[in-house]
Amino acid sequence: MSHYEAPIREPLVLGDKSYHDITEDIAKPIEGKANKNWYIAFYISLAAMLWGFGCIFYTVGTGIGVWGLNKNIGWAWDITNFVWWVGIGHAGTLISAVLLLFRQKWRMAINRSAEAMTIFAVFQAGLFPIIHMGRPWNGYWVMPIPNQFGSLWVNFNSPLLWDVFAISTYLSVSLVFWWTGLLPDFAMIRDRAVKPFQKKIYALLSFGWSGRAKDWQRFEEVSLVLAGLATPLVLSVHTIVSMDFATSINPGWHSTIFPPYFVAGAIFSGFAMVQTLLGIMRKVTNMEDYITRLHVEYMNIVIILTGGIVAVAYATEFFIAWYTGSPYENYTYLSVGAATGPYAWAFYSLLFFNILTPQLLWFKKIRRSFIWSFIISIFINIGMWFERFDIIAIVLSKGHLPSTWWRFEPTFVDVGIFIGTIGFFFVLFLLYARTFPVIAQAEVKTILKSSGEFYKKRLAQGIPTKPTVVIAKKKITEVDSSDKNTKE
Amino acid sequence: MASNKKYWKSVEELKDSSVVETLSKNEFVENIPTDNFLGDKETLETSSTSRRDFLKYVGFTTAAASLAACEGPVIKSIPYVVKPNDVIAGVADWYATSMADGYDFANVLVKTREGRPIQIMPNKEANGTTSARVQAAVLSLYDEKLRLKEPSKKGETISWADADKEIGIELLKLKEAGKPVVLLTGTMASPSTSKIVDEFTTAHPNISHVVYDAVSEAAAADAFQAMYGRRALPNYKLENAKTIVSFGADFLGDFHGGFEKAYVQGRKPETGKMSRHIQVESNMSLTGANADKRIVAKPSDVVFSLINLYNAITKEGVASKATPIDSEIQKIAQELKKAGSKAVVMTGVNDINAQLISLAINRALNSEILDINNSLNIRQGNYEQVQKLVSDAKSGKIGGIITYNVDPVYSLENGADFAEALKNVSLKVAIAVENSATVNAMDYALPAPHFLESWGDTHFSEGNYGLIQPTIQPLFKTRQFQDTLLKWSGSSTSYYDYLKSFWSTEVLGGSSWNKALHNGFFQKEVALTEDGVETPRDISIAEVARILKMNTTPSGMELNLYTKTGLGDGKQANNPWLQEFPDPITRASWDNYLTVSMADAKEIGFSNPVKDNGSINGDFAKVTVNGVEVVVPVMVQPGQAKGSVGLALGYGKTFGLKEEMHVGVNAYPLYKGGNNIQYNVKVEKASGVHEFACTQVQKTIAGRHDILKVTSLKDYKTVDPKDHHHGWNKPAYVSYDHKEVEANTIDLWDEHNREIGHHFNLSIDLTSCTGCGACVVACHAENNVPVVGKKEVRVGRDMHWLRIDRYYSSEVETREEAKELGLSRGEMYEALETEAENPEVTFQPMMCQHCNHAPCETVCPVAATSHGRQGQNQMAYNRCVGTRYCANNCPYRVRRFNWFNYANNNEFDFNMNNEYGKMVLNPDVVVRSRGVMEKCSMCIQMTQATILKAKKEGRKVNTDEFETACSSACTTGAMVFGDVNNKEDKVAALAEDKRAYNVLDYLQTKPNVIYQVKVRNTNEA
Repeated sequence: MSHYEAPIREPLVLGDKSYHDITEDIAKPIEGKANKNWYIAFYISLAAMLWGFGCIFYTVGTGIGVWGLNKNIGWAWDITNFVWWVGIGHAGTLISAVLLLFRQKWRMAINRSAEAMTIFAVFQAGLFPIIHMGRPWNGYWVMPIPNQFGSLWVNFNSPLLWDVFAISTYLSVSLVFWWTGLLPDFAMIRDRAVKPFQKKIYALLSFGWSGRAKDWQRFEEVSLVLAGLATPLVLSVHTIVSMDFATSINPGWHSTIFPPYFVAGAIFSGFAMVQTLLGIMRKVTNMEDYITRLHVEYMNIVIILTGGIVAVAYATEFFIAWYTGSPYENYTYLSVGAATGPYAWAFYSLLFFNILTPQLLWFKKIRRSFIWSFIISIFINIGMWFERFDIIAIVLSKGHLPSTWWRFEPTFVDVGIFIGTIGFFFVLFLLYARTFPVIAQAEVKTILKSSGEFYKKRLAQGIPTKPTVVIAKKKITEVDSSDKNTKE
Repeated sequence: MASNKKYWKSVEELKDSSVVETLSKNEFVENIPTDNFLGDKETLETSSTSRRDFLKYVGFTTAAASLAACEGPVIKSIPYVVKPNDVIAGVADWYATSMADGYDFANVLVKTREGRPIQIMPNKEANGTTSARVQAAVLSLYDEKLRLKEPSKKGETISWADADKEIGIELLKLKEAGKPVVLLTGTMASPSTSKIVDEFTTAHPNISHVVYDAVSEAAAADAFQAMYGRRALPNYKLENAKTIVSFGADFLGDFHGGFEKAYVQGRKPETGKMSRHIQVESNMSLTGANADKRIVAKPSDVVFSLINLYNAITKEGVASKATPIDSEIQKIAQELKKAGSKAVVMTGVNDINAQLISLAINRALNSEILDINNSLNIRQGNYEQVQKLVSDAKSGKIGGIITYNVDPVYSLENGADFAEALKNVSLKVAIAVENSATVNAMDYALPAPHFLESWGDTHFSEGNYGLIQPTIQPLFKTRQFQDTLLKWSGSSTSYYDYLKSFWSTEVLGGSSWNKALHNGFFQKEVALTEDGVETPRDISIAEVARILKMNTTPSGMELNLYTKTGLGDGKQANNPWLQEFPDPITRASWDNYLTVSMADAKEIGFSNPVKDNGSINGDFAKVTVNGVEVVVPVMVQPGQAKGSVGLALGYGKTFGLKEEMHVGVNAYPLYKGGNNIQYNVKVEKASGVHEFACTQVQKTIAGRHDILKVTSLKDYKTVDPKDHHHGWNKPAYVSYDHKEVEANTIDLWDEHNREIGHHFNLSIDLTSCTGCGACVVACHAENNVPVVGKKEVRVGRDMHWLRIDRYYSSEVETREEAKELGLSRGEMYEALETEAENPEVTFQPMMCQHCNHAPCETVCPVAATSHGRQGQNQMAYNRCVGTRYCANNCPYRVRRFNWFNYANNNEFDFNMNNEYGKMVLNPDVVVRSRGVMEKCSMCIQMTQATILKAKKEGRKVNTDEFETACSSACTTGAMVFGDVNNKEDKVAALAEDKRAYNVLDYLQTKPNVIYQVKVRNTNEA
């Protein structure tokens, strides 16, 4: 993977790293012991997760009635959480697939965790369509599988069915893609492992990676093929999720701009979640040299872009609600009716968190600030949750017939399940951070010479890094080996 | 003695015993090759069955055996050994009978399945009507909690024979001592029972019969007696009326009952004739909600304006007082005079003088509408006699009290006094269907059968007789009241024989008993004109008005007590269907409340905030009447007269009721003198917050007038319904190819051919619908709709398949008006959403619209809801996984989700949680489990049964033969169901009517439920 990069570009790897340094840095969290903070975070997440599971069992055992839903509002937190988690899952594939195809090297520091986040988020998302069913034990009926109910088949007209296909495809492709990328890194851990059990596990996980040239060649090919497969999924999944709403006849849902708007919103929220997670992870696992200000800035730029698309979509929705002149559009989630109605707080929360706060990122200082990015990313996460809540709850709360206007109030079970999924997500992520190579080290090593700080410095000093001169290459090898020697 | 004989079994045994000996030692003739089997080491070793495998087999077989031993719960269905003649399993039997429980009187048909009554419908041939309460009475039959099951004495079981003996001795003692005994019953309107009571009181001259109605109509009866010499209630032929003016008479609600059919018959805009109905009242009643013009006045002003109307019509100047509505009264007088003999005035003021004035006005008008011949024999209660009984009992004058089906301890203003006074009475006998505080206060509790288990007769109005026949074997050890009295009178005939002979001698006049019994009713010419009863007596109205004015002493707040459509006088307070039935006006269930006008609420500081869970809360008010204090929650009621409050009777009953039914506040202690109007009432704000369970929160249509179309009679006659500007039934238009076209001319979808076979439509005439809600309960009964309880209704989870939306008008009705007023968008929404202080009210029954392009059908992932070839949108419960997507995508929000298991669940301890209550379930309709969606099926079980019946009889389905539960319960004929492919069916013409429209037609869901534009006769004559 030859790659030329102008020396004036900011380096993507800081800290004068050598190949071995990278290996060491990335293996450290796995081989070392977890610190106290990790345990605290883990136990809190575990407690939240168990509480959530308890709420889920209670729901399944007693009935959906333990939630705050009613005859007029059939969905609320369940589908809000579902769409929120699916949306979060979007950044991973975008980073690893689309950016791979576009040869954006900065993705290498973040793609592993972003994809992990994707998979864990899709786990959470996938829970909701199942548990929101009145009879989840019959949930398999939504699968077009041969059955003994006569010629009963699923309804291919239903967007919920498309969801089933979209989400399961997305999960499986993402998982395969993620795993493929992990193979060389698992092999690296395997080769370094001293404990036999650990060695065995990582040997299994790395599928017998040997590091031969043929392995690498196939690896590159598969990665590209999977990236090609995964790219349309970035667009399709949230398009289909948006169709749950867009194909309905509820004013405020029945909107043709939903697919692009939802995809943009998903990437927006996904990147925000990546910012949140990496903001913590780079500190906790000492990855400051790999996840740099530059990465943060790049991600913030994506956030501004997608946030802008979302803002334009909001404005369009608001305009259309007014422009139709239809009294039925008076109370859509973006309308004067919503702004003056009982859900005004949710309406303004949405505008504040999703439109106003991301605008701060136009300032370079804020965009490059770790702490600001972290705070804004959390705001966006909240805002995107409100977006889905507004779309679902506000629209359903003011249906066509005024006699059916109602409100929604969550019960402790609604809240418990949501918190439970956050707990579950972090449990998975924390376990991942302790057992998986959190940065695609094999890939980072490929850009070390073109985008590492050390090499950029040398280039600036006029020491050539490109071939033509054999000595230069030799020198570098010397440096490499000397480096190794000192360490050893 | 031992025998030496030897018996041999074979020749061998005799000859050669050694062979036999060896043989007898070997059980098997040939040696079993055990050694071969066990000893063959080689085979054993090569065998693949190891010990481990053996254990596996053992484990498997044990598990299989124990699994096979497990069985699901066995529900035994036992076939008839000897099949009763008339019962065919799976086929319903209908019996004509009558209901007369002292408050509700109706000629009904009862549907029984396998010997269980499961539904009550109006006996339309007998002109019978049913209300929500009559419909629900079938469930009260199965009230195992409240019904008396066996005779008891002071709580101890006693046999009927012993009870008879003891009571007989007591009665004899009292007779000899000459101590008065009172037989206290409700109105029975039963001629044979009257005769039995007469015979009983003749046999025991010390016994007097007192009739007591919890809700008194005594004033109207007394006034009628004063004027026409016969104690009865006036009847009205509203179908012929041109102008109806009612002063607080809720004749579509509880006022005598049964007028809605005639009322609606006189209001058919398509015939061009439509009566004009003006209501002057203080509470927002069901009748007021239906009026063409509703004039709000507090009760005292209602009384004075009635006198003023008398003055205006007769030009007399009897004593009265000016009221704020006098100018309206002048106009009413003009209208009444114009209508002449086709006009009628009625009043609900329970005061003999007010009633007399109302009768006098009708006389002055020469009203033909007031029907004197067919006067009503219901609600014959005599309040004064009841009060006398209480005071007599208190002073120890009374030796015995026998009550039948009344609960004075609960429903008397001084019920506690009555209970106290009972201590001075030696013989206390309660004959009752249900347990009550009164039964509890008595020594003897003798169970009587429910009317569905009884024989009997009725005479509701002059000339109209009815029969009561049992539809089920008595569930408990009950004996009819009449049988008991016959026994105590010393007669040995059974009531059935008595009834039969009574009818053949006194009623039938040679007609067939069997036919009368089959029909459930018998009509007789009334010939009263000869005996002079018709000639009204002259009564000095000036004197009447003077007394009325003197008695009407308005000061402070005025309280108008009323009864709610659901619970009435509270007899069926333990009936979960009625408790859950939302009030047509306030749409609140499980409660009574103080209705307060918006102006007064603002002044005193009452409000009904909508909470975050969608439900409504209310403040508490302390209401003081003559020193009696009650604390009630407040419901701010648009259309309530300022200076007046309303409160429903019949609530707050607790004795013996299930915990869930302990709702509301008992208002009877405020019912002073049996008068529904109480002056000098103090209303103060009390602390605390009450949680209401309302099924509808938004009160106005919010400018969405294509949902609910209303027009005036004048516009209906003169304006083209589709006129672009003034049309009153404009279709939705859409832009297509840059042209405005009617929305229903373009379509995204390919149509199925709907011409083949049956295609069902349901037409709902908003002009004829009075909002009475009989259909809601009928639907409950027919479709096994679960009751969910107050807490669940509060959070918006009522399961009604059929609901009646009620909309109030707002001050600003349309967006155009709002624009003219220069309101901003936010202000406009608020104006459209806020109900007017004295709004017009419109009812709209709403159920599954059975859209031909149903939005619910496309979104279900498992195709659990799909379209039938007969127009129904069908719901396959078994297939439903419960995503609720269909409900979200239903613009009419008629789908209901089973949030919990509502059957066999102690959390929902209503009729589906006990063996008796379950007997009311319709076996044709499945009880849904939790997690599935349900909704109106257009009674597919009924339409299929009709089709099958026709098929078996080898004929086509007759015209108008198809029915649904709601359409057959609808007495006014507002709901018409049928097959539009049969052009003879009424509904086929209705579907094409110029008043027909579909709700939300702009969505192009193409519903099979059609609404007919509501027409109001707003033209001042």
